[in-house]
Amino acid sequence: MNPASSTRGTVKERADIALNDDFLRNAVRFTTDRLRSGKKVASTEHGNWEEWRERGRQIRLHTIAHLDYYLNLFVENARSQGVHVHFADNAVEATDIVMTIARHKEAQSVIKSKSMVSEEVHINQALELSGIEAIESDLGEYIIQLAGEGPSHIVIPAIHKNRYQIAELLSEDAGETLEPDTTILAGYVRRKLRQKFLEADIGMTGCNFAIAETGSMVLFENEGNARMVTTVPKTQITLMGMERIVPSWADLEVMATLLPRSATGQRLTMYMSGISGPKRTTDADGPEEMHIIIVDNGRSQQLGDPEFQELLNCIRCGACLNVCPVYRQIGGHSYGGTYSGPIGAVLTPALNKNVAEWDDIASASSLCGACYEACPVKIPLHDMLVSLRRRKVERGHGDKLEAIGMKGFATLMANSKRFALAMRLGKIAQKPLVHNKGITLKLGPLKGWNTYRVAPILADHSFRDQWKELSAETTAQPTTIDPAVQKRMEQVLADRQKGKHTSRTGGVSHE
Amino acid sequence: MVRLLAAHGIQLDFPPVQTCCGQPSYNSGYWDETRTAARTILKAFQSSDFVVSPSGSCTYMIHHYPELFKDEPEYLTLAHELESKTYEFTQFLVKVLGITDIGAAFPYKVTYHPSCHGSRLLGIKDEPIALLNHVQGLELVPLPFAEDCCGFGGTFAVKMADISGAMVNEKVDHIKETEAEVLVGLDMACLMNIAGNLRHRGEQVRVMHLAELLYEGVNIR
Amino acid sequence: MNNKDTSHDPSFSTKPLVVPNPESSHLTPDHEQTISSQSDWLYELEQKSKAKQQTFMNHIADRLQRPRIQEAPLHPFRGAPEVWQDFNWDEAEKIEKFTKHFTEVGGNVLRMQTLEEAGAFIAEQSCLLNARYIVRQQLPETEALTLEQRLPNVQISAWNSNPEEAWKARAAEADIGIVLADGAAAYTGTVMVTSSASQGRSVSLLPTVCIVLLPIERLRTRLGELLIPWDQKGKEQLPAGIHFISGPSRSSDIENELTIGVHGPGIVYTLLIG
Repeated sequence: MNPASSTRGTVKERADIALNDDFLRNAVRFTTDRLRSGKKVASTEHGNWEEWRERGRQIRLHTIAHLDYYLNLFVENARSQGVHVHFADNAVEATDIVMTIARHKEAQSVIKSKSMVSEEVHINQALELSGIEAIESDLGEYIIQLAGEGPSHIVIPAIHKNRYQIAELLSEDAGETLEPDTTILAGYVRRKLRQKFLEADIGMTGCNFAIAETGSMVLFENEGNARMVTTVPKTQITLMGMERIVPSWADLEVMATLLPRSATGQRLTMYMSGISGPKRTTDADGPEEMHIIIVDNGRSQQLGDPEFQELLNCIRCGACLNVCPVYRQIGGHSYGGTYSGPIGAVLTPALNKNVAEWDDIASASSLCGACYEACPVKIPLHDMLVSLRRRKVERGHGDKLEAIGMKGFATLMANSKRFALAMRLGKIAQKPLVHNKGITLKLGPLKGWNTYRVAPILADHSFRDQWKELSAETTAQPTTIDPAVQKRMEQVLADRQKGKHTSRTGGVSHE
Repeated sequence: MVRLLAAHGIQLDFPPVQTCCGQPSYNSGYWDETRTAARTILKAFQSSDFVVSPSGSCTYMIHHYPELFKDEPEYLTLAHELESKTYEFTQFLVKVLGITDIGAAFPYKVTYHPSCHGSRLLGIKDEPIALLNHVQGLELVPLPFAEDCCGFGGTFAVKMADISGAMVNEKVDHIKETEAEVLVGLDMACLMNIAGNLRHRGEQVRVMHLAELLYEGVNIR
Repeated sequence: MNNKDTSHDPSFSTKPLVVPNPESSHLTPDHEQTISSQSDWLYELEQKSKAKQQTFMNHIADRLQRPRIQEAPLHPFRGAPEVWQDFNWDEAEKIEKFTKHFTEVGGNVLRMQTLEEAGAFIAEQSCLLNARYIVRQQLPETEALTLEQRLPNVQISAWNSNPEEAWKARAAEADIGIVLADGAAAYTGTVMVTSSASQGRSVSLLPTVCIVLLPIERLRTRLGELLIPWDQKGKEQLPAGIHFISGPSRSSDIENELTIGVHGPGIVYTLLIG
């Protein structure tokens, strides 16, 4: 079902709902804390994490930079394995191909394992409209499907639901009352879906990685439902984002090291499956017919764009969600699209050409850089958010008042004398607002700030005003510099000449 | 900061033509306006060997200058130079001057909030801790979820006020958990944000910039 | 059907090249001619797809502002960092670490001297679980367990490609599934199982309990040691399904609470043989 309601309104409006939902916020906090600390433990245990991150980044960069070669190689090799490969420029084409296959197979039901791309193209809606049952088999996805909602987290889609809500949903589905006990609820879903797996006409999957050199697709999961979907039904359809390629199985080792540790803190997911074509003639299980639909849907737009090409590095681990201080407060639905969190904030506007509709998402960030620090393939999401903001302004979609404000800012900052004068005037202007050395007025632009804080006042003597005296004071009786310190400074200058020194003492850089 | 460095024989100069590093307009996507402000910075420090700033985010902003001025060759050269010679205060003290013990005494319970730009993007992690560890009598208590953003983010605090408010509320909740008397940090923007919320909630925690704390600590002796 | 000879390759098994069936549209170079009229629509889609392929790839090259690349580019960062290749544990440590990692996530690991011992253990478990149905891969190793003799009252099926049997249903009904691992990695606590005529994917997936027989000499240190050979074997040699199993099926989707045995087996044993 397409959760159309979650895309209505602005990000602020959706966020407001989330901010008032205590259960949601606690659930998000609990989940992200657990996953975040899991990642820390797993990445520390592995060791040399920064080296592996850089490796992952290089492999992805290389693959994307040569995507025409590797994707083509994958297609040729997949075909030689017996796979039917199709290409979809956009969501409509992808759905058309699926429907064509479903029609020819006279399918009555499609059972799905987790696929973000399938949500992106709204395949469930299309299937339902044609009277074909589309069943999600991932436990979390099954729950939100019953609820008619979209995922609120890339890896754990139903964290916004508590056990009572889940029990209610599943009880209704079961036609009997189920206790709000995890084992009982999961047991019910296992039994119910077992039957569905065995009866379904088509199994539909996403694709974590596609190995170019052998035409194999790889799935990572913990429940076993993706294995079921690719083993039991007679026909398999896989939806694959065009950028999901890695060159070789050797490269897969790097991804298999980065992805589970970053996503959930596991050394490896319980199941990792490499599927190379439909069943062999003498196999007694596995699909007889296998289709892979390669989906563009805005991805190729990022190629050749120096500010966004790296976005295609993403391996959909969700680590950025787990560290984002904004996501922590507002949860996944506030982002309005298929993808949430920092990656969603960039991916949704980037994939959609309708920039004006989606780019307020880019404002919902304090640009703290935690996402970049957490990303196993080092995507500079914090920089991409600024790029989105800049493009919005350049295309004339910027907020008019803000634009005027910025022009004023520039005029002021162009000239230091003007700036100093403005500060002096400001000190006078603020007088009626100052109360007990602070400003608490909740009016206009101050409303947002002062709802949660007391605003500071401009100092009586600004630094500029003090400078003359301060300078005189410090030069009056100068302390002699320690010769060791002097030497260090001279060494720095010398290194700089040779180009050896950098003022960045560390930190994550991505030049 | 000026006095602290003077006490170690470093005379700071303050070129008055500088106005603002331009971060607010840069982050909101107004890059032309940013360049206007940035040019004052580039002009101000042309002849300096070392440029020190009491703000990690301003220092980091300067690393964006080469990108901003890629189409203006003269300013581009200045930008590269400035990038290589600008330091955040604790970076300068510890990495350039090699000073970790500034000779301060500050017998209070203190907790430290590492500002985002400084810690993540400039790599300032050890320097402030080294300085704090050498302050006599200071009890440094770790801040839970210290690395989480305080919610300022410049115009974010105004544009997305409720989200920002929720973030600073949580930051102050964690500060309260430490039962510290003083919150110390490296960036006035963060500190102002947190202080504003502390005041709003009637909390007595004192908010200080590390330079302030060290200076007071030196004068206590 | 084909009894695999596993004696010469300790790392893992090779599959015989499958003889193509004219009715299926894969693994024959001229498969387009052999598709029956029933699959005309597939053929049509195929033609469309091949045409579109060129446009698709050309578009990528256009976006990247350069001509199409036809030759394999230099890939200097292929695979894991070089130093990683030197990371190797000795047998004792491999066994210890594999056991630790597999059991940490809820799996069980036991050492058996021989397949006979394993057979006895499985028979014991079967009685404890009141199992009525066991499905096993049809391999010499699983034969050697002599379960048919040990458990005369239990229905035991040896997976094969006899079309008369509804194999998936068999496996779905089974209480215990027994498979032979083609390899394992201690670092991640993972066993590798591949598919073939005598090795159904369902055997390690559908039953409630999964028992994996792992000859110790097949236990490696790094996951890469299991992956890289697939690059080297060549794509024609790949089985349809290569499955890496690192523990029992699990989910934390409900309030972050861990539950075991969601779709796949909830109880997994790896028996280290030798």
